Amino acid sequence: MGAKDRPLLTDSYSKVDDFIPEGGSAYLSGTSVEQRSEHAQAWESRATDVEFVRVIEQNTTNFTVSLKGQDLRVSLRSESQLQNFLRNVDQSTLYIDITGLGHHVWAPLLRAALHVGKLVKAVYVEPSGYRFNPNPMEGDIFDLSVRIKGISPIPGFASLTESDEENVCFVPLLGFEGTRFAHIIEEVQPLNERVIPVIGVPGFLPQYPFHTYHGNQLPLTNTEAWRNVRFAIANCPFSLFYTLEDIAADFPQSLLKIAPIGTKPHGLGAVLYALARPKQVELIYDHPIRKEERTEGSARLLVYNVSTLPLSGVGK
Amino acid sequence: MTEEDVKAPGPEQQINQLFGYRAEVLKDKLFDLFTMPSYFPELETSQACMLVGGRGTGKTTVLRGLSYEGQYALRGRDQKGIATWPYYGFYYRVNTNRVTAFRGDELGQADWIVLFAHYLNLVMCDLALKFMEWFQLHEPAAQKLSERDCRKVAASLHLPDVTTSQGLSDCLEIQRIKFEAYINNVVDGPRPPLSMQSAPIDTLFEAMQGLPQFQGKNFFFLLDEYENFEPYQQRVVNTLIKHAGELYTFKVGVKELGIKHRGTLDEAQQLYSPADYSEINIAEKLKGESFKQFALTVCNERLSQITNDRDEIIRDFMVALPGLSEDDEAERLGIYTKVAAIKRELGRRVTPEQLAVLEEIPPLQTYLIYFWAKGSGHRIEVEFKDFLDNREEWETRYGNYKHALLYTLKRRKSGVRKYYAGWDVFTQLAGNNIRYILELAVQSLLLHLQRGALLSEPVSPEVQTEAAQAIGKKNLLQLEGFSVHGADLTKLLLGLGRIFETMAADTFGHRPEVTQFYLSDTTLQPEVKALLDSAVMHMALLRAPGNKLTASSDTREFDYMVHPIFSAFFVFSYRRKRKMALSAADLLGLVNNHRKTIKDILARTQREDSLPLPDQLQLFGTYYHGG
Repeated sequence: MGAKDRPLLTDSYSKVDDFIPEGGSAYLSGTSVEQRSEHAQAWESRATDVEFVRVIEQNTTNFTVSLKGQDLRVSLRSESQLQNFLRNVDQSTLYIDITGLGHHVWAPLLRAALHVGKLVKAVYVEPSGYRFNPNPMEGDIFDLSVRIKGISPIPGFASLTESDEENVCFVPLLGFEGTRFAHIIEEVQPLNERVIPVIGVPGFLPQYPFHTYHGNQLPLTNTEAWRNVRFAIANCPFSLFYTLEDIAADFPQSLLKIAPIGTKPHGLGAVLYALARPKQVELIYDHPIRKEERTEGSARLLVYNVSTLPLSGVGK
Repeated sequence: MTEEDVKAPGPEQQINQLFGYRAEVLKDKLFDLFTMPSYFPELETSQACMLVGGRGTGKTTVLRGLSYEGQYALRGRDQKGIATWPYYGFYYRVNTNRVTAFRGDELGQADWIVLFAHYLNLVMCDLALKFMEWFQLHEPAAQKLSERDCRKVAASLHLPDVTTSQGLSDCLEIQRIKFEAYINNVVDGPRPPLSMQSAPIDTLFEAMQGLPQFQGKNFFFLLDEYENFEPYQQRVVNTLIKHAGELYTFKVGVKELGIKHRGTLDEAQQLYSPADYSEINIAEKLKGESFKQFALTVCNERLSQITNDRDEIIRDFMVALPGLSEDDEAERLGIYTKVAAIKRELGRRVTPEQLAVLEEIPPLQTYLIYFWAKGSGHRIEVEFKDFLDNREEWETRYGNYKHALLYTLKRRKSGVRKYYAGWDVFTQLAGNNIRYILELAVQSLLLHLQRGALLSEPVSPEVQTEAAQAIGKKNLLQLEGFSVHGADLTKLLLGLGRIFETMAADTFGHRPEVTQFYLSDTTLQPEVKALLDSAVMHMALLRAPGNKLTASSDTREFDYMVHPIFSAFFVFSYRRKRKMALSAADLLGLVNNHRKTIKDILARTQREDSLPLPDQLQLFGTYYHGG
């Protein structure tokens, strides 16, 4: 079944102002260093009957959230704390705005929200542009030391499953920064023919897929993985989800090691896939530290009806 | 053309397949192409070993060769002989994404230690049980673990009462899943029952050693990429190494400087070599002539497997990659034009009889007279007369400067400024690194074929040089992704590369072939030490014990050299020769404020950062000189 035959459970709004969270819902968001994560504050005055829940601090192992006038610290490696917090959110429909939250925060939150039976809708706002050079030339030096903390599991998604390398399929979800891809290859050491990169096509902007190829040129060439590239819509977690299903079908009995180092919607798709197939997936993440003013402006806003996707692994 | 002809892979494809250099990529071919290094027998003893070497020195290949899967392949896949092997090894690569799950401020280190020790018990028992399963498959008549022994192992791991090794494996898998769930919610508890460090492994191996087929056999845990362990985790593993002995032992692969902790869980006890383990430093074991021979065997073995019906293939890299003498190279670098100009100049100032002496000496030696005059500030005829009067002294000088002169001949010209050609030169560029020599060999052959040449013809010095530059560039660009601090290493290398390149091209009046540096500071701040350690660990720099202290205040222990694999890309000498002093501030400056620091360091040596970049360095033109 091709991606076109599968439901893309996404509502798309051409600009942030076109969307207002529906009444009777809760809207969970955080603010990052990026300008586009500030929209929730603007909606508070316009939305009615919406409980806004703000993550005010994001640390490596916990986050602090402001709920009903109180600050609550929640450990990321505690399903009970995550669920208790979410049960204290009264509304059954929960928007999780992943735009301003780190993968290490929204991923465990998303899982806990699905576990407690919330109707979860993930929200993402595309940037209107990238202020850093999205088209790195050969010879540009990326300062990885201020860009990543290093490889470690996303809280709650650690896998202790050992698998023979012949049974591992490495699926990097590529962004612009080839150095991150190269670094993860160095750690994972996959077999070249089992590196299946995914590039976002169409991109947020038409030219972005070319930037992705350019930025990842060296590791794509060294591994010859350019031969194996798959495509999934850059702003669509469901498109990515289905692409992962296809890859899994092509590599039966394989453990998919997925590196969500590309777009956040692809990261969301990877996490959803990991929730759906927990025994067949390992997430490999390098925990980037976002530079201030990395992106500029806001473009489309997308609402992903996550709960509508059948996730057989959730809750098991 | 027959169907077989169509299907047969071409020489390029065969070269790419045969000259793969990562053990992880070669898979089964790894063992078909395995060449036993001279130190291999040391690893086959019952003593614990630490195999220390940089990326690409062959640690993984050797450790995999020691594994039971590797031994099976190396011994010709002879099922009958398995029971006669003297040892069985279990390979395990330390996976960063696993071991970093055992850290975080949710628990104190004491808690992480017991959790990690339990995890290691699960991993190591699983490795041994998988081996037992494999052994049973190949030796169906072999005695199995007794019910009693299975129960004992299960009890020590808090597994249900199981009576077969298959049952143990199955329960271990469930235990691992439960433990994974606990680690993912480590704040919630309750903590599952944990096994005591090494207790289940000891119990299992006691049982295994009791089986007739394993009596008197050695069992090795082959831990690769030990540097990926957190420091506290190294203490846990060190404790196992220290107390392992009769039942099993460890063969550890680790990058140079990858040992972050030599302590054990008992604070009073450290891991000592040779009392607790023998350290095998690959760079020490395989260097000079022994590396050259080993590398030649490895590469020629691959060359011997290329099939080609059409032409004879040169099967020896010593022949396929011919070198150049300094005088031949000087000729290719345009020495005759320079010498003609020198003779014209001298012809106006000395007698024809005196001038005729120059016909008896190599052109490069004539150039030395010009070079010396330029450096000393004397007129050329003054130095020429000195040459005539002191021939013996000038012969010695020629010996000292001959190689260095080559770097000055085309210093402002585009195109090849210096040749890097010949098997001997390539082994020096590789710096005792087997991966690098394979990269150089394969790149030379592929470029050679791309230029339309045949494998029956030797590779030209031009193509060899181009290949050496390409490999230098590839490794420089890759360096960035090797570690979280890769960008700093790249900047350090770009800075040092430019300095040594300029010093090589401008040797007039200076010491020749300055290719090393030492730290002039008496103490190093942690930031600089970390940078240097990382550079050594990731093969940006080579280090050697400093043995030529030039002043009593010099307290640093090591001399450092930019890895020679980068020398063709930057154009400086690959030979370990003279050294200069750099300060810690210089090194940090090369990372944080490179343009000024390069200029300052060169100014200290009475040079300017004004020479045009070699063609292949133009890529970094903006980095060096701004947009």
